[in-house]
Amino acid sequence: MKKTGLIILALLVAVCMSGFAGASDTVKIGFHAPLTGFAASDGKSASIGAKLAVEQVNMSGGINGKKIELIIYDDQAKPSQSIPIASKLIGQDKVVIGISGSYSGPTRSAAGIFQESKIPYISAYAIHPDITRSGDYVFRTSFLGAVQGKAGAKLVGEILGKKKVVMITLQNDFGKSLAAGFKEAALNFGIEVAGEYQYSIKDRNFGSIVARVKAHKPEAIYASGYYFTAGPLISQLRASGVTVPVIGQEGYDSQKFIEIAGKAAEGVIITTSLDRDSKNPETASFISEFEEKAGFKADMVAASAHTAVMVAADAIKKAGSTDSVAVRNAIAATKLKVSTGTIRFNKLGEVVKSVQNQVVKDGLWRHHSIIDDAKILTPPEK
Amino acid sequence: MLYLELLLQGLIQGSMYAIIAVGLTLVYGLLRILHVAHAGLFALGGYVGLLIFNETGSLILAMPLAAALVGLVGMAVYRLCYQPILDRPPYVALIASIGLFIAMEELFRLIFGPYGLTYKNPPLQAYVNLFGIHIRAAELCMVGASITLLGVLSYLAQNTRIGVACRATVEDPEMAASFGIDAIKVRYLNFFIGSALAALAGIFVSLLSNLVEPTMGGVPSYKALAIIVLGGLGNVKGTLIASLVIGIVEAFGTIYIGNLLDRDAIAFAFLIIVLMIRPQGLFAEK
Repeated sequence: MKKTGLIILALLVAVCMSGFAGASDTVKIGFHAPLTGFAASDGKSASIGAKLAVEQVNMSGGINGKKIELIIYDDQAKPSQSIPIASKLIGQDKVVIGISGSYSGPTRSAAGIFQESKIPYISAYAIHPDITRSGDYVFRTSFLGAVQGKAGAKLVGEILGKKKVVMITLQNDFGKSLAAGFKEAALNFGIEVAGEYQYSIKDRNFGSIVARVKAHKPEAIYASGYYFTAGPLISQLRASGVTVPVIGQEGYDSQKFIEIAGKAAEGVIITTSLDRDSKNPETASFISEFEEKAGFKADMVAASAHTAVMVAADAIKKAGSTDSVAVRNAIAATKLKVSTGTIRFNKLGEVVKSVQNQVVKDGLWRHHSIIDDAKILTPPEK
Repeated sequence: MLYLELLLQGLIQGSMYAIIAVGLTLVYGLLRILHVAHAGLFALGGYVGLLIFNETGSLILAMPLAAALVGLVGMAVYRLCYQPILDRPPYVALIASIGLFIAMEELFRLIFGPYGLTYKNPPLQAYVNLFGIHIRAAELCMVGASITLLGVLSYLAQNTRIGVACRATVEDPEMAASFGIDAIKVRYLNFFIGSALAALAGIFVSLLSNLVEPTMGGVPSYKALAIIVLGGLGNVKGTLIASLVIGIVEAFGTIYIGNLLDRDAIAFAFLIIVLMIRPQGLFAEK
């Protein structure tokens, strides 16, 4: 028994050593995402999106002659996992940039560690405001909840012209920051919020909320959630006879939402980052190549992780070295056309880009409208 | 009108809790084990039912077949997981059960993928209009099925030899054994029935949301425990009433205090209040 153990250990060491030896002529980018646990579906999409970006960059010659090596760890969407992962990526793997393909909790904790070590860190789609407040080495390629909430208010009040709204809010930092943004901008668009009801991320049966919402007789419903909560919610709303428009956000942004809600999904509009009907070649090629690689439809999470890797690769290229200060400054100066549109960062490291509104038509996400109103899109600078 | 609708939603949710919690309370009554992995069998029922339905298009076939298969798996869980450690302190079985539950969740994820599965042409989605209240066929069927199944079960427990044997074994295992009752057979039967009911609950829940996910057992795993504690551990009648009470408390709670506490917090706050007043649960005999 002991002998076999020793042999296995020796083999493991040998494998690790050879890994290190071969890795010297690559540029390492660290990536953590929930590959197991409750958020595993988003982790899978995100990691495929990131891998696709790496392949695309390497195919077109890599970065300054070197190939990118993506080092992926599973954080189970838990801060307790992302903290040791961040230390490992920095101390052991010596990555040039760290990328989070994960949720707000684990991303917030990892951001602090990257900031302390002055290694640039990009949050692909985690939306908590504190992430970028960790410091000047932390960036985000997705909208803040507040920005997207405001865009939702413009969509409801101005583009759709609906004034009496009931809100159904997911009880976590994602749902709450969206709701705060929506309410803040609601007044500007003449929207009256008739009621707000909250649910937990574990809820799949919304019978009582549906009954209450119906009693308000709203003109539109603004409901935050992820595809796995929004799918059942929308189908239960429609089954109880509610026919008014439902407005969601990027959490819905998955083909799975349409699969779950079925016919009830038709006409649901969301604010998100990925335009399926985009003429932009970066977006179109991302969508087709992702679908070929993954075997399922592209979603916001995948596009955001893809974007984050592209930003990282572009910055290292422009910095001309892997020096962390130079790379950080290059990220801050980013002006790039990527799968999620034309992006740059503000002083805080928050992304500035247009909001893509998508609507479900014949079982697919399609273009609805674009919001590029600077007043809404400008993220806070502190 | 709204109150009536909320009450109805509470009863629907409560009847779902009831068919899950009954299996749990049967196991507790018999073996004094908190069978957390019961929730894993609930999820397994969701998966098996959906797979059979998507293959055959027949819910009439999918439901009994899934229930029977999961019932057999429940018996295997007893034989392979609990029986070898019955002479250990109860926490050993509890830890084994939690471990088994986590393993099942991850196994579902590995086999069926993390995204969850959905029904092709989900059945029972039509709705009926009862005096202005829309109820989905799936909801009606769930309530109907749980009343029927639990009614039949209680009839069998009162009026058949094996039913009496089960109750006798729960009451006093040694005395029952001395009368020639095969305690092992009773245990297998209990695991079979409890697991089959959990499987049916899994199918109904997945029909309501059109989604079967690896983690769908998460909420029942602890909510059902709370319910059997509330009902007076091991007490079947108490468990049924506690299920309905929790369902109704949640239905009203999510609307009137939902912005302060989420559904689970409401249920557990209620549990704590009841246990402060009646530490033995609502219906404990002692």
